[in-house]
Amino acid sequence: MVEAIKRWNFDVMWALLLALGALAANVAVFATPPLQSALPWVSLCLGILALIVLVRGLWRAFGESQIYRGKVLSVVLGLLTVALAGLMVFAFFLARKLPTSVDAPQVGQQVPDFTLTDSNGKAVSLDSLFAAESSEPQAAAPKAVLLIFYRGYW
Amino acid sequence: MRPVAISVDVPQISLDLSRKVGYTFPILSDPDAAVIRSYHLLHAGGGPEGHDIARPAEFLVGRNKTVRWSNFTEDIRVRARADEMLAAARQLR
Repeated sequence: MVEAIKRWNFDVMWALLLALGALAANVAVFATPPLQSALPWVSLCLGILALIVLVRGLWRAFGESQIYRGKVLSVVLGLLTVALAGLMVFAFFLARKLPTSVDAPQVGQQVPDFTLTDSNGKAVSLDSLFAAESSEPQAAAPKAVLLIFYRGYW
Repeated sequence: MRPVAISVDVPQISLDLSRKVGYTFPILSDPDAAVIRSYHLLHAGGGPEGHDIARPAEFLVGRNKTVRWSNFTEDIRVRARADEMLAAARQLR
């Protein structure tokens, strides 16, 4: 009896490629390219799409196994895809878990004064930041100070 | 325009960071997040082991100490770009 030739299950391969695309978009965010703020959404969409395509691929491999081959490969690639795409979708929501900060200083408002210690142990006040650098007699006082609040180095 | 970075890191960590990356601008320590709180930027439990840290934000402050430009990212992976900050600074008279 001649066995019908089964079709390759490309969905599972596409799902993994989509998951890799989601990872690439995530990595690309850190290179600060133009349209950087769209990349997290690209990563989310590719990750969700990867999982949808995977579901179809698994359905074909197991539900239509007389037509499609690749049960073992589907499971292996499927696990990789779920891990990777799942991680990218999880990362999207985790990265956006931020407080609303509605009471932070708005444009036109005055900012609070402060005095903090710099990395050399010297006390630095907000007022002093607007003064000309004593080490550079030719340098003018800055027109503005850019305060960069960041999460920390860890 | 003079950039200044502020976080809850203690001065030694900031010194390590600035040496590693080669920053020339001051990095200030706010270990109990008092200044961060006064700016309403606290991210309670956002750091490792549940430490309180700042949410990322940038303010361009003019000489009269008013905010001329600000940036509050919605995603911690997306940082304010140098060209955006420079463009904002250039608009100051």
